[in-house]
Amino acid sequence: MEPTPHYKAYKPKPFTKEQRKDTTLLFGGLTWKHERLIQGAFHNLNYKAEPLPNITRADLDTGKELIDVGACCPTIFTTGNLVNYLKKKKEEEGKEAAVNDYAYFTMGACGPCRFGQYRESYSMALDGIGLRDFRMFFLSQTELNQGDQEGGGLEVNMPLTTGIVWAILIGDLLTDLEFQTRPYEVVPGQTNIVLKECIEIMYQAFKNRPIDKIKGNKWLTLGWHVVSNYFTDALKEVIAKWKTIEVNKAQAKPMVKITGEFWLQTHEGDGNYNIKDWLEKEGAEVIPPPVAVWLDYLMQFPLHALNERKNVDKGTKKKILMLKGMIKMYHWTYNRMRKSLNEMPYEMPSQKTLAELAAPYFNFRLDGGEGHMLIGKALYAYLNNKAHMTCELTPYSCMPNTMSVGAMANVRGKYPELLYAPIEIKGDAEIHALSRCQMILTEAKKRALKEYDEVMKKCNMTPEKLEWIALNAPEYKEASFKVPHNGYAGTGANYITMLSQYKGKLTKTLKKTATVTPKPIAAETVLTEVAATETVTVQEPELTYA
Amino acid sequence: MNIQTLLTPFARKPSKELLSKDRSTVRVGIPKVLNIWNTHQFWIGFLEGIGIKYTNIVFSSNTSEEQSREFGKGRGTVDCCYPVKAMSGHYGELIFGQKKKINVLLSPLIYSMPSSLQGHVVANNTCTRVMAGAENIKSGYMKEKDVFVENQIKYASPYCTLDDRIIVPQQLFDGLKDIFDLTYEETKKAVEIGFNALDTFNKKMQKQSMDILEQCAKTNKPCVLVIARPYHMDTGIGHEIETDLQAHGYPIVWMQYFPTDPTLMNWLFEEDIKEKQIKSPFDISDVWPSSYSSNTNEILWAAKIAARFPWITCVIRLSSYECGMDQPTFTPTQKIVENSGTLFFKFGDLDSTKPSGSVRIRVETIVHYVKKNSASIIEKKLARMKTQWPPVKAEALV
Ligand code: SF4
Ligand code: SF4
Repeated sequence: MEPTPHYKAYKPKPFTKEQRKDTTLLFGGLTWKHERLIQGAFHNLNYKAEPLPNITRADLDTGKELIDVGACCPTIFTTGNLVNYLKKKKEEEGKEAAVNDYAYFTMGACGPCRFGQYRESYSMALDGIGLRDFRMFFLSQTELNQGDQEGGGLEVNMPLTTGIVWAILIGDLLTDLEFQTRPYEVVPGQTNIVLKECIEIMYQAFKNRPIDKIKGNKWLTLGWHVVSNYFTDALKEVIAKWKTIEVNKAQAKPMVKITGEFWLQTHEGDGNYNIKDWLEKEGAEVIPPPVAVWLDYLMQFPLHALNERKNVDKGTKKKILMLKGMIKMYHWTYNRMRKSLNEMPYEMPSQKTLAELAAPYFNFRLDGGEGHMLIGKALYAYLNNKAHMTCELTPYSCMPNTMSVGAMANVRGKYPELLYAPIEIKGDAEIHALSRCQMILTEAKKRALKEYDEVMKKCNMTPEKLEWIALNAPEYKEASFKVPHNGYAGTGANYITMLSQYKGKLTKTLKKTATVTPKPIAAETVLTEVAATETVTVQEPELTYA
Repeated sequence: MNIQTLLTPFARKPSKELLSKDRSTVRVGIPKVLNIWNTHQFWIGFLEGIGIKYTNIVFSSNTSEEQSREFGKGRGTVDCCYPVKAMSGHYGELIFGQKKKINVLLSPLIYSMPSSLQGHVVANNTCTRVMAGAENIKSGYMKEKDVFVENQIKYASPYCTLDDRIIVPQQLFDGLKDIFDLTYEETKKAVEIGFNALDTFNKKMQKQSMDILEQCAKTNKPCVLVIARPYHMDTGIGHEIETDLQAHGYPIVWMQYFPTDPTLMNWLFEEDIKEKQIKSPFDISDVWPSSYSSNTNEILWAAKIAARFPWITCVIRLSSYECGMDQPTFTPTQKIVENSGTLFFKFGDLDSTKPSGSVRIRVETIVHYVKKNSASIIEKKLARMKTQWPPVKAEALV
């Protein structure tokens, strides 16, 4: 009898150039917004591509059944998600079609935690459903030009990578707009409708990217993305649409900064108990974590490593300069796009600042999970009054994040006033997790209210004055209007402070439109009493300036 | 397995003139945890190299429930795997439990490890909890008040990439210069001494393993390979399960000290190399392409060894409670071993208490199977080999 052959790991069959036109590339792991834009980048390069459906509880159950026990929930959810999709395809189109007409593409060929070992979990799950021949490709998250993947069907080159990176950045920027607007919208649901339209504008921009004209030279491709007005012009269209959303920012809402494990904090869905949505419904304004910060963080590692080699390898100096240049360019690009959106999206924090803030508690060279960033971000938000509380999402049994969370104990000892809600996410213990968050949120709400009331008093602001402003300075009701950070954590408090500082402008507005047809803004009881069609003449109330 | 951590008085030491300061009275405590278990010789060599007397280098004792109770209580900050959780007790023992007080508590952040697989795998990183465990544990001793300061102990936690020897002097100089008042030159020299001590020790241990393997081959007797993380050698973490087995007369080989002798390696892997499955005996891409983590890589490599070396008829796999790194390796490791007909037994979820009763029953079961099946396993595995034992002397097949 022949001996059993030695065990071999999963190795995907090649995905050839010829197969490209008939093969749908599957991908996922971000929000629907990011994914739709990435799809645009794929379509632009003539790939068939489709994001996996949003994560559900059923994915957790499927994942648990198929992989070794004890995995972290991002691994279980994402494995289950892929498997459930493939099972459906197998049922609808047959096994052969499920195997041959689709291929999966993800980041994950890196990292010291399970993130670097997704391949093993996924392949085990494929074995479990009898689809071992299904093709999966794991790409490094730190290389721009990874060349042809096995078979050449997927070319990870500059046009594709820049497309994906720009899609991620723009996905982040629009997510910032979304979360700054929805809690204050006057017409419920309007933000989501406009957001969809805006994502479609940007999808078209990605799909129609004039890549043919710039393809060929990788540096030219990168340069075009950095300097051309192509995407910034499209973003101007977005902000023009955004302007049509009516908001009332004179509200006391706790600002909740989300941090945590990469997948879990980015995700919007069952994977994290829809916690961002839940927080909004509980009356909070959420500061979502941009993927852009993660990419910035990843770029720091080679920089640190090169810096360390300076004394032993002369060639590193040039590489350091190049990498620093790339990082500068990255920030510049992000800020340039922010400017096209009236600078509404938040600025990326400086990685140096985050590392310095975290230094007494966590060494910035330790990677995996969010590392020191988890600490740096919480401290940054607290010390700069950018949020009332930080909600930190850690997957149950996550290896790196538990270490950062442990180190946070020291931070909390030093800053007992810092409101910090570390939420462990298992995927199936929603009530427990949300009630933990609720406890801290209640305190955050109190602080937001207190802060708002104090600012109202300090600025001598009254509902009547707010009414007057609403009638005379309609631009403040436009969602595209940026409320500057005036030193308070809450948007409402910053808004009131801003109004009190804008005397000149308001007077001008008043002179121009002494008689106006008022439109009521919701949640202000005084205003609802004013008939919407009635024409009134208003007097400028007295404002006290901070 | 008990490894002596202190006896390196004959290691090469720098001459006194090279040292910028007299540090002979400084006492340094090292928590004997995680990857200290396979780098202790480096740290001893290094400390001696900067002039610390070896009698002033104190390791905490093996992990135990008493240690946790007496010294680590209330210091935990987060729930995680036992080897990390247990660190609190080690810190406490060094701070509070020494007759002669320590001056420095040295708990390095070891980012990457030297490994025999280095150069054949993607990376040699440690588990993210191994590298950052110290940051988590120290926080339990600082959250209310700074216990280190209170006890006049300097806390030192240098970051280091031990797989990249050339930059270790700079890293340790940056991390320790203020603690020991070091110069770069003496740090560099001490690092060299540290690595020499580590290499010498590893060679010695590999030689001992080789003797066991040769003896088994010569007498056609089975041995047992332990596949585990280095800290499972700690009697409080691995619970001496392999010792119970050894008591039944089966020699034990730990994967960390499996010999890398080229002749043996070529004998085991020449077919795989010829078939272009792998490029070298230390290449594990055929079974584990995600080869980023050094201990995990070695686990997979050890499973391949067990699948091939005829006289290893049984593998004992140890894994701690809530070990996230082990989780994805369970099935591949078991399959690699079992596909070859070798027996495989896993002791998972190891925690603070030794499940003595169930261990005893399982050890008896293992002994029963090893006794019953070893002869046929050896025969079958020998039949797979293309050449006879002892193999012809060879240079490394890389
Ligand atoms: S960071 Fe944590 S949750 Fe994310 S993949 Fe790694 S271990 Fe899993
Ligand atoms: S390898 Fe496992 S047991 Fe060891 S520190 Fe990492 S998670 Fe804990």
